[in-house]
Amino acid sequence: MRHLQPLNKKARRISDHVTSLSQDVVALQNPQGGQPRPHVPMGCSLMFSPGWEVDAAGGTAGLCQPVERDIYDCWVTCYWPAQVPDHMNNYPNWTSKCAAATKDWRNLDLVYP
Amino acid sequence: MKPLLSLLALSCAMARGATLFLGAYPDAVIAFDESKGQIVDRIPLTTGLPTSIRLSQDKKKIYVTTNDHSGIEVIDVATRKVINHFELSTPTRRFRFNGGAPDAEGKLFYTVTTEIDKLVDRYEIGKPKYTVIDLGQQKIVKTVDIASEDENANAGGYVRGIFELSPDGKFLYQFRDKVVILNVDDFKVVDRMDLAKPDLPGMENVGFGGLLDSIGEPGQHISLFNAADPVVHNRLFGIARFDLATRQVDFTPIGPAPQGMAGLQVSPDKKTAYTVVSTGAHGNKRCEFWAFDLATDRITKTEEVACRTRFSFGMSGGGKKLYFYGAGFEIEVYDAATLKYEKTWDLNNDVTGAGMIVIP
Repeated sequence: MRHLQPLNKKARRISDHVTSLSQDVVALQNPQGGQPRPHVPMGCSLMFSPGWEVDAAGGTAGLCQPVERDIYDCWVTCYWPAQVPDHMNNYPNWTSKCAAATKDWRNLDLVYP
Repeated sequence: MKPLLSLLALSCAMARGATLFLGAYPDAVIAFDESKGQIVDRIPLTTGLPTSIRLSQDKKKIYVTTNDHSGIEVIDVATRKVINHFELSTPTRRFRFNGGAPDAEGKLFYTVTTEIDKLVDRYEIGKPKYTVIDLGQQKIVKTVDIASEDENANAGGYVRGIFELSPDGKFLYQFRDKVVILNVDDFKVVDRMDLAKPDLPGMENVGFGGLLDSIGEPGQHISLFNAADPVVHNRLFGIARFDLATRQVDFTPIGPAPQGMAGLQVSPDKKTAYTVVSTGAHGNKRCEFWAFDLATDRITKTEEVACRTRFSFGMSGGGKKLYFYGAGFEIEVYDAATLKYEKTWDLNNDVTGAGMIVIP
């Protein structure tokens, strides 16, 4: 049946309905094409994009190892800003005592928003 | 006698080892001596964290952009001292920019900035604009709107395409999916060279990659390129040379494009080149060194290598060693002849994604 394509609006609605029955509905999900990707729950990453805790595949194999290697780029590239203090505006010196995060992460400043 | 002396000088330089300059957290550029295997200088930056470093055309200065306060710092290579630094940010106005190109005299810096204004009740984020920064006056002296068709390529405050100035300083080239040629006086687009046609008949989706510092030649922009033929869309990679004076493009296809490549490093004698290709993702990611003979454009050696999740690829000044660096605080050293792991240098300092400059 896969070679059959809906041609008009009604046919498309029927097709969408049939498709929706076979999928889980996930809160705040984006419409995605292609390969289904894991849904990372809100509590794990506040910007709905995998952070240090999991990679885009929902595992840990794609993370920098150890994960502390990546901690600074979280705020430089602003890709995972939710997990680290806001360096650009409010806490510019939170890393000033820690040159190598993997070794000296205990020297990172604690931040109390 | 003269060739002998030159050979002697070259061999001495290779034995002495080059100096590597790398951007480092939280606010420094570190100078690393290859022969000693240790940091020999730490150049503090007063304006914050380095996000890009670029060598001047005469190789005497390094231009650093920093992101804490939208800063620029100029380092004298010989003395390893900051000779000029300033911030563009004010308490109510910030600029996002990353990278750019200095002019030959070192007076102006061309980049793309996004202005962010703090108003009473909101932040107003402007559109990206071509920007001229006067390094002497330490301020922005000109901004020009970007044509709508080029806006996406310059969005986010980052110069996604590499900027290069023509040898006469009259034109600015931006290398991306096409070459955009701008007049430096008013940033009017002089020409857009769509690389797919007609300059490269028989190919589509041609795009310039990053600058290859290891084969940087005056008056030329040299980079990796990817292309595909229009019939079966077979993807190729190769080396592209763009003559900044004549605007002639010279492409040398090398082979089928792998899933991912970590740039191309070319030995000083320009006979051999190296890259790291990656296939798969996450836990299934595999990496290999590929060595090329540039005379015949053939792969001469491959070797599987345990690459990091995220890394940059570099080469020693003499071309004998290959480096993996970032993210993190180490440089892994591989022998270029055998492609085998040799040792790891501990920088004791995380390096940024600003890249590496090698000064022989």
